[in-house]
Amino acid sequence: MTTATLPSGSGTTPREDLAEATVRTFFDAYRAHDVERMVELCAEGAGFRYVPFEVWSRQRVLHGEGKVRTVGKAIWTTLIDAFPDLTNAVTSLRADPDGNVAAEACIAGTQARDFGIIACVGGRYELPYLFLFHVTVDGLIDDIVAYWDNVAWKKQLGCLEID
Amino acid sequence: MSARELAEKFFGHVEAGEVDEILGMMTPDATVSLVPLNRHGPMAADGASYLRELARAVPDLLVRVRRLFVTADNTAVAEITIDGTQADDFLAVANQEKQVDLDQAWMLTVTPDDRISAVIAYWDQNQLYRRLGVKRLDQVTITAG
Repeated sequence: MTTATLPSGSGTTPREDLAEATVRTFFDAYRAHDVERMVELCAEGAGFRYVPFEVWSRQRVLHGEGKVRTVGKAIWTTLIDAFPDLTNAVTSLRADPDGNVAAEACIAGTQARDFGIIACVGGRYELPYLFLFHVTVDGLIDDIVAYWDNVAWKKQLGCLEID
Repeated sequence: MSARELAEKFFGHVEAGEVDEILGMMTPDATVSLVPLNRHGPMAADGASYLRELARAVPDLLVRVRRLFVTADNTAVAEITIDGTQADDFLAVANQEKQVDLDQAWMLTVTPDDRISAVIAYWDQNQLYRRLGVKRLDQVTITAG
């Protein structure tokens, strides 16, 4: 056994501590609307999946799934543009010794532009999210998955349609 | 039994609709937060009520655990997919025998004596409504054909 797998005094391993620190830095960057920094914290080719993100049209369904550097960056940038005061507060953070991190966060913002089918009426939302990360031994995020409830989100913003 | 094994057993009981067995895995004061339903309370009341309704409305339910890990505080974190056919009204949505497939994330806090003391579940209710044919959030009982 190497020191990298020995529990620290707090009952966590250095890998867990590093993973948690990376995720906290990620949310700090998100709060600062620093999308470039958010991307820098992710490995090249990092996976991205926003599970509730589905855009339905007659021909096909677009899912919020792909890579951080393409789909993720575009979604974050568009969200910050539509909700210029977008902020977050991490409410719980848990890690395992293999780099998996579960983070509950409250995300809030005031709508300033249309976002998808949600027309802007200036509404404000606060919503609980669950993010699941995987962080490499080098402290880079190589996978992000997020869950939230679009019903609560849309109702707070005055949108009652299901696309 | 490890937290991982306990979580696998929990989801096996969910799939089988064995709510009493699930409650038997809980501490007496176990809590549940079904985030998209805004239900937060005792597992024996709020959790059991949801699970019984799920079992009744989707009797051919399949639960697939796609990812499972256990954090330092002995919380089992699972991504699952539930899959089945609606056979009765569910969460106020009229039955149209629609196929349901829904990705969810659950967190089960496990005590040192192998009991589950807290359950938190996340999913997108909008995705569920869409699959069940609901067209408007203020009219969930009215479904499209």
